[in-house]
Amino acid sequence: MPIPDTPRLLAGLYALGAVLLLGQALWHYLVGDYTQILLPALLAPLLLTAALMRLGQQETARLSAYLVLICGYLIVATTLPGEGHLALLWLGLPAVLTFLLLPLGPATLLNLTLAPIWLLLADGGLSLPLSLAYLTLVFAAGLAPWGIRHQRALLMATDPRDEECTALRSAPLLERLESEVERAGLLDQRLAVVVMHLPQLEVADEQFGAPARLALLDAFCRTVAEYSRDHDLLGRIGGADFWLVLPDTTESGALLVRQRIEEAAAGAMLNDTGGLEVRGATCAHSPGQTIMALKHRLDATTRHLADG
Amino acid sequence: MQSKYKVSLLRLNLLLAALLPALMVPTARDFSEGMLLGLAAAWLAISAGLVEFSHRRPPLVPWQLLPSLLLSALLWTSAEHYPFWLWGWAALVMLPQPAWMAALNVLLATLSWAWVARLLPVEQALAAGLVLALLLALGLARARRLIPLHGQARGRVSLEPGLRLWPGASLARDLARERGRGRREGIHSELLLVRTRRRHLWRVARQLCDMTRRFEHCYRLDGRTLAALLVCRDAAQAASRRATLLQRLGEVERVRAVPLTSTHSLTEEFRALEQQATTRSATQGATPDADT
Repeated sequence: MPIPDTPRLLAGLYALGAVLLLGQALWHYLVGDYTQILLPALLAPLLLTAALMRLGQQETARLSAYLVLICGYLIVATTLPGEGHLALLWLGLPAVLTFLLLPLGPATLLNLTLAPIWLLLADGGLSLPLSLAYLTLVFAAGLAPWGIRHQRALLMATDPRDEECTALRSAPLLERLESEVERAGLLDQRLAVVVMHLPQLEVADEQFGAPARLALLDAFCRTVAEYSRDHDLLGRIGGADFWLVLPDTTESGALLVRQRIEEAAAGAMLNDTGGLEVRGATCAHSPGQTIMALKHRLDATTRHLADG
Repeated sequence: MQSKYKVSLLRLNLLLAALLPALMVPTARDFSEGMLLGLAAAWLAISAGLVEFSHRRPPLVPWQLLPSLLLSALLWTSAEHYPFWLWGWAALVMLPQPAWMAALNVLLATLSWAWVARLLPVEQALAAGLVLALLLALGLARARRLIPLHGQARGRVSLEPGLRLWPGASLARDLARERGRGRREGIHSELLLVRTRRRHLWRVARQLCDMTRRFEHCYRLDGRTLAALLVCRDAAQAASRRATLLQRLGEVERVRAVPLTSTHSLTEEFRALEQQATTRSATQGATPDADT
């Protein structure tokens, strides 16, 4: 099933960071270190803003990561030059924080650019073993996002299912469609495809966010599963466009399936959108028709449905 | 996505990351530190050699545990010189891993923090602990988004990109589906079990995928056994296809072919294959067919 994004969790963590900074300011106040109060006291509201931004739209959410990074950088930059050896502890923090908050590309770039600066700021950072140790940490920490990316790309390449619902992805769908056409040809069978479009999907996403979109997709896939056979193939060919491949089915049979799905979907009860609107059309594969011709017809039908 | 992603880049990164601790070995302050750095470099370099873009060899748990143990040991021996390695824990918990391993990593991180903290004044130690907790939480939040992908996808992903070879877990479901479909459409479909040697498995798997038609799927049941669902018009056609298939498949020890209408259960067929004579013979159901 889909990967729920975790904006609330992240916002909570940012807010905790703000609390931590306030605690630091308070500590400086208690020990009478008045010159150092200013920075954490100023950065704490900034982190709180970042927490609120994280809950907003995608663009502002991305900005919030940079805000948090700036806070972390400033705090570490003021701590690093002091107290000799102990301050070294904070040297690795900015690099790891960058990998945690930013995507791999920008994070690597930023870390490589800033590495000399952090080493200069640190006491004795220019000695060879220390810079080597620091670079080891940066490169090794960078491997974690690489590992994630590797796993993700591998799953994308090998998992036939869509990320957001139980339908097939478009590439495996096309492969399976071709193989079903081949099978129909070999066994002298008919084949039909129901093309479906969900006009509400985009609106649901814009108005109610990702959970509404996922609920809609889930309801649709369950409805289709209920009214089709075990070996019928439902695939997501585009954002809101689906193909249901029905092996050994005539056009009239496909029409029946389409009507049943449309009726059942209209009666579904969803929190945000109420009923589920499905626009459908059927395409039958006539014996002897090439797979390319069938695909062209299906593409044209899909476009026609999407345009209304 | 598939074409954009390059495994060689990850390999290069692993090698670069391996080079750095290797360079640090001569500057190590004592023998154990040098040893640990060398081990870390070796782990990274070997990982670079092992990494590949397929599910053929899932990483073993002890192998995945090594970086955590190495990081703890490095912090144990050289916390005085390189305390900033402590933050490496946040990167380690980010990796996709089972829940118990994440818990173990958090535990080890806490222990290393306690070890580093004894060098620091109380307020700094506390601050470092709180910041580390926040970073670990951030890392775990990032890893959490991958967990659903892992748990459920494992049973349904193809074992190599582009190959029609599926994990054995999905065979039971496909078997039931194909049996129902065969009955409804009046066609002859059969389950083909192939036993080979461990080292020939992937070659035979590739041959099998090449020789079956595109709508016939192949499965890897274990390190030596493959399965395929064959679809034909009738039993006679199935027999001739099976014969040509077996002729061209190299390095096969045992073969068993059962029509889907008479398969009892996968485990039973599997056991029957085990008990079959070790000659290279095709057995159809209980009655042995002609040797090939």
